[in-house]
Amino acid sequence: MPIFVPRDKAIMRLLRPIIAMGICLSMALGASAQALDSSDSSEYLIKAGFIYNFAKLVGWPQGAFAQPDSPIVIGILGTDPFGGIIDRVLADKQIDARHFVIKRLKWGMDLKGCDILFIGSSEAVHLEEVLHALKGLPVLTIGETPGFARRGCIINLIVEDNKVRFEVNLDAAKQADLNISSRLLALARIIPQSAADVR
Amino acid sequence: MSSIRKNNTSLMASAGRIFLLGMLTVCPPGNVSASGPSGPDNPQNVPDVTSMSLEDLMNLQVTSVSKRTQKVGDAAAAVFVITQEDIRRSGAASIPDALRMVPGLEVARIDENKWAIGARGFNGRFDNKLLVLIDGRSVYTPLFSGVYWNVQDVVLEDVDRIEVIRGPGATLWGANAVDGVINIITKSAKATQGGLVTAEAGSEERTAESVRYGGKIGDNTYYRVYGKYFDWYPSIDATGATASDGWHALRSGFRVDSNATTANSFTVQGDIYHDNFGETLTVPSLTSPTFSSTYPNNGYNTGGDLLGRWNHTFSRSSTSLQMYYDRTNIADPTVFGDHESVYDIDFQHDIHLGESQELVWGLGYRSIQDSNGSSFTVALLPNHSSLNQYSAFVQDEVSLLNNRMHITVGSKFEHNPFTGFEFEPNVRVLGTLTKQQSVWAAVSRAVRTPALTEEGLQLNAAIIPPGTAPLNSPLPVVEAIFGSPLFQSEDLLAYEVGYRVQATSSFSLDLAAFYNNYTNLRSAEPGAPILGGGPIPSYVILPFVASNKMGGGTYGIEPFAEWKILPRWKILGSYSFLRMNIRKNADSLDPTPDIPNGASPRNQFYFRSSLDLPKHLEQDLIVRYVDQLPSLNIPSYYSLDLHVGWKPLPQLQLSFGGTDLLNKQHLEFIPEFINTLPTEVRRTFYGGISWTF
Repeated sequence: MPIFVPRDKAIMRLLRPIIAMGICLSMALGASAQALDSSDSSEYLIKAGFIYNFAKLVGWPQGAFAQPDSPIVIGILGTDPFGGIIDRVLADKQIDARHFVIKRLKWGMDLKGCDILFIGSSEAVHLEEVLHALKGLPVLTIGETPGFARRGCIINLIVEDNKVRFEVNLDAAKQADLNISSRLLALARIIPQSAADVR
Repeated sequence: MSSIRKNNTSLMASAGRIFLLGMLTVCPPGNVSASGPSGPDNPQNVPDVTSMSLEDLMNLQVTSVSKRTQKVGDAAAAVFVITQEDIRRSGAASIPDALRMVPGLEVARIDENKWAIGARGFNGRFDNKLLVLIDGRSVYTPLFSGVYWNVQDVVLEDVDRIEVIRGPGATLWGANAVDGVINIITKSAKATQGGLVTAEAGSEERTAESVRYGGKIGDNTYYRVYGKYFDWYPSIDATGATASDGWHALRSGFRVDSNATTANSFTVQGDIYHDNFGETLTVPSLTSPTFSSTYPNNGYNTGGDLLGRWNHTFSRSSTSLQMYYDRTNIADPTVFGDHESVYDIDFQHDIHLGESQELVWGLGYRSIQDSNGSSFTVALLPNHSSLNQYSAFVQDEVSLLNNRMHITVGSKFEHNPFTGFEFEPNVRVLGTLTKQQSVWAAVSRAVRTPALTEEGLQLNAAIIPPGTAPLNSPLPVVEAIFGSPLFQSEDLLAYEVGYRVQATSSFSLDLAAFYNNYTNLRSAEPGAPILGGGPIPSYVILPFVASNKMGGGTYGIEPFAEWKILPRWKILGSYSFLRMNIRKNADSLDPTPDIPNGASPRNQFYFRSSLDLPKHLEQDLIVRYVDQLPSLNIPSYYSLDLHVGWKPLPQLQLSFGGTDLLNKQHLEFIPEFINTLPTEVRRTFYGGISWTF
């Protein structure tokens, strides 16, 4: 065995339990652990979770919903990156008395019936026209393409270091008459509207 | 070689349809929704994201966690993935530093600009059984069958992940992927848009700066350019005096990724570098009264590479074509200079045959041009050589029992100018026991083909002064190591097993064990003395000639566990046990004693605690233990590293830390063959800043 000076011995005495604890505890846990659901994390599963949270933390103006139990309509515009994930995540979920309804939309279809509009990357070329069509309506627009928030999308999801982050364009939220909770804002990156679009 | 697909999703090739999530960074988002067999398409497996807060969701990893704890679960090989987060949180300042966290790897620093890095034994500065790739480009030098670690570098912030496979990867990666494959994969240009400026300073690393900028050309084409400079202080020798091993390097490069159409994507990337290094050398000398001379030696390396890759997707198959050129110039004014050019072309075709079968085949060609300048210490004959290598491989993966069992069978076939035809088959079986548990086993053959030096080297290692007992030679005796055209490939037959369990949503364990049986390992056999020094001999050469008279077994076990104790607190640890029984054959006359484990540690521990604190602070503590290196008389050591990261603004990342806090100074390795003075690893402190815009 190697030779240590006394100082190292003391440090070793200190460290051995830490290491032993780490390894042993891990092993013991592994042996006795029950088989629980594995937490598979995937981009669009996480993003669906974000959308659900946004729906909880955004206040729509009075009159945006016809009835107290009118569903929250989520439109997915353009190429749908969620597959069936968002439908499964939001099935049977409700916020207050509102269920979710998910619609797949294509460019050119009527967007006005949505409360939340997820604008896919495929729509980058006509984002301005989409936003123009929704001008003044209480629709929470959500994108996932760099630059969308600056261009007037209210929330933009971005992946950074393999984690999902989001930007909020407050001017756009104000124009849509949506009230965004401070809890949401505290976690967001606030993006100013690009000068050209401020009117 | 078939590194094309192995670049994007390297492990997919080795283990079938495994790392789907790993593709997130290289695929357009629209392609990702199919999240793999155990992914969210499987309702029982989906965590309830609606019960998670935004904070929790923001802490979920899109790729990395899954890759290590779930997707790696589908690979029939011992795989470890270092993520970008691991690199940042460990405070690693270089690629070798980052590799220290991998179970089963041995990483030892020799001096400020040299390392010994190996997998599962045989570690050395000129370790020849580990294959290293950067974005699909092999950085294995044909000169000594190893890696010039001092010329391999990237902007660490631009690394997407480093995938390390312990054990043979020869069926896919070819000869020399004997004990392991290290795949350094940088982010796509699309993932590195905008600017990044980093600066670091520390007690050891005087300064390090990098600048990167990424932008967009047209609709589907992204680029980035970077520059990186660092300057390292000389370290100290055993007496505490300043050594001569300072090092500074300048490097620059670019990458362009284009998804021209949905079916075609292109990547072009390149790098160029220049570094100046110092060291203290001891070389034999006939003119000195001590017959050796020790002096500070300064040299430089320059080089560059250019790589292009084209991926094309058909409805049920995909192809990729990759070409690269790599140039390395080693300018060491007193010992050895070398210029090496590698041209490589690879083609790979993946075909899905029905629901349960995937066939991959590929072709490769590599041309190597080498020219070198000799000295009394090191000479390589011929001075110019040109080598051509051809290869082909085929591998089939079949899924059985309703996808619960996967069998992979394949082989590489290659031809090299030294030993001719080689084949490297493997069989791998993966069984899924439950959703959370899998077992795997593999039997594979790998070969390590001869390097240029093993064919034509003369290395004068030391001089025995005249009159020294027991030779009592009237002339000085030069002990020299010779290559030999008779040197054959080294062979490995490897048996591996593994077990993985995702025991709870927060705890996972990965266990790998192996038995490796080596034959025809390199020995140095004494030959008949030769008179040297011209017509009137002035010295006698005692040659030790490269031969294949060594072999034996190695075995080991490598558990790795990760436990998320709290959402904000994770600990992970690994233990590596290695036992080597390598012996000379009965007919070998090699005078080197057989020392079990040689220059490789028998036991290693790695432990890390990663804590996320409020206010965007993160704190990491790393404890490592490396056992003694028996043949080098290097004692075991513990090391403690601390790292604190702080992100006060989304664009700003600050980091502070200390490495080797338990030791004032210690030695990690003593190099073989070339007598470079190893220097002491010291306790260091550093701080860094990185700004994105």
